[in-house]
Amino acid sequence: MIEVSDIVKSYSIGGQALKAVDHASFTVQQGEIISVIGHSGSGKTTLLSLVGGLTKPDSGKVIVDGTDIWSLDDNSRSHFRNRNMSFIYQFSSLIPTLTSLENILLPTAFGDFPGDVRAYAEELIERVGLKEKTNAYPSHLSGGQQRRIAIARAFINRPSVVLADEPTGDLDEEAEQDIIRLFSEMNSALKTTFIIVTHNKEIAGQAARQLSMSNGILTGAA
Amino acid sequence: MKKIKISWLALKNLKRKFIRTFVLLLLVAVVTGTLLSATIFISGMQNALRIGTYRLGADVLVVPEKNESQAKAALLSGEPTSFYMDGKVYDKVKDVEGVKRASTQLFIKPTSFTCCYNVETFLVAFDPSTDFTVTPWLQKKLKKPLADDEVIAGSAMPLMTDDIIPFFGTPFNVAGTLEPTGMKFFDQSIFMTMQAAFEMAEKSKGRSVQPLELEKGKISAVLVQVEDGFTPERVAIRIEHQIEGIKAIASDEVTSTVRKQLAGLLKGILLISAILWVLALLMTGFSFYMIVNERQRELGLLRAMGATKAHVFRLIITEAVILSLAGGIAGIVAGGGLLSVSKTVITQNLKLPYLLPSLPVLSELAAGALIFAVITGLLASLLPAVFASRMEPYDAIRKGE
Repeated sequence: MIEVSDIVKSYSIGGQALKAVDHASFTVQQGEIISVIGHSGSGKTTLLSLVGGLTKPDSGKVIVDGTDIWSLDDNSRSHFRNRNMSFIYQFSSLIPTLTSLENILLPTAFGDFPGDVRAYAEELIERVGLKEKTNAYPSHLSGGQQRRIAIARAFINRPSVVLADEPTGDLDEEAEQDIIRLFSEMNSALKTTFIIVTHNKEIAGQAARQLSMSNGILTGAA
Repeated sequence: MKKIKISWLALKNLKRKFIRTFVLLLLVAVVTGTLLSATIFISGMQNALRIGTYRLGADVLVVPEKNESQAKAALLSGEPTSFYMDGKVYDKVKDVEGVKRASTQLFIKPTSFTCCYNVETFLVAFDPSTDFTVTPWLQKKLKKPLADDEVIAGSAMPLMTDDIIPFFGTPFNVAGTLEPTGMKFFDQSIFMTMQAAFEMAEKSKGRSVQPLELEKGKISAVLVQVEDGFTPERVAIRIEHQIEGIKAIASDEVTSTVRKQLAGLLKGILLISAILWVLALLMTGFSFYMIVNERQRELGLLRAMGATKAHVFRLIITEAVILSLAGGIAGIVAGGGLLSVSKTVITQNLKLPYLLPSLPVLSELAAGALIFAVITGLLASLLPAVFASRMEPYDAIRKGE
């Protein structure tokens, strides 16, 4: 479960303070899929980074599975991310010198992963339908295939929360639907919580709950 | 493959920009190679000087006044020479206060090496009854006195025990060969007794095309060992003061010329090495700064995956260590190779003694060079690694956009 209370994040642009996230509060239940819709610059990516522990809020709290992530020191927060969270981005987030399998295994470099992680990585690559691309490098994959490998990587640590920032951006409609179908499958199979940030109304509409963001203000939160 | 290791990831990252990695590796290799070959070279000369001075065994060398420079050249660069003075100088020298022992030697420059090789050589005759420089050394190796029809050959002479070698028409049996010292005076010399030298001179009148002009009773030098409590310089001054027409050279004076040359050489090499090192440090540092800058988003993504600041720091440092280690090894191989190829040319041009340091010393020098290379890589990547590790993940991901 994720509880975000009264979170604020400001940036100083040209000497003026700009509130990227302005007193946002919301709760997401375990296994729920929610979407945050808004235009570019509305503050939704910043909100996702605050929830994911990637940028420090000016005020407010983010509690993930009972842990106040901003009360942890940087090391502990990194370990928490490594064990409980994953991110999926719009851009190609794969390392070009690593194969698909190696990219999926990348988070294992930064924490203790019990069991046979390779076998699990192979299972994930099969689940995203790219078994034949196990040893392919990103340059030999299409944009949609790269995104699917990034999704498989997001599950190597069996996270309780997946934070997706425009996960279908730059993809054609077919690939877009593929990604959403994958999210639903993963959510059903693993009871993973998803927060999907998008400007695409159609994608946002497929989530169980939809929040909107405009000029740093979040609306529609229950 | 189970888990991904940071060292493996670092290696993969280095392969990404192959040309840049190769240039940096080459730079580290050049610096390491230059430093190592210079160190081995200097160490080799110091080694030769130390062994040569020890082998010389004498504290003071008394030679004819007009032949001082020839004597020094003979000792330092093994330049064959012939000069003679009256044997009575010996009687006068041994009576000078502070002289513990004295012995005579004859330096003979052969007209040609008449055997079969075109090797420059130098004949040194000593008096076994008074000698204290060559004899103890021969006794250890030969275990019997040197007969008048025998010679001992320096290590650089293409001779083996029991070979027969003629000088001025007299054949000599090679009784043994000496270990290398790095000083041509020893390595390219043939040692014989004084008696053998005079007999050879006598016989040369009838046997040799160019007979040896050597009068009985003549000597080239008197070698002196000083008593405890006296310095070689002080005794040398006394000898010169009491005996006319001679020059007394303290052994330190001989080596000081080389030491001065060495010091100059060392300064030059150190300066070049320091410039190269600073250049390598700056270039490697700048390259790592660029690497970090180019990979900001990627480093931010790693942080998002759970990499700590320490993981990011370790990743950059590991890349630098792998690079400098590989460059260091390449430099050691190249430097060693270059030195072995150019050693002869350099020593001949500089007219300096040289003896390759022993294997343990060489290993220590190589290990030192490798450590130096790694430290260079570490220093160069330290600031970029700190910068990379301190980036806020979200900022790093955004700046890389």
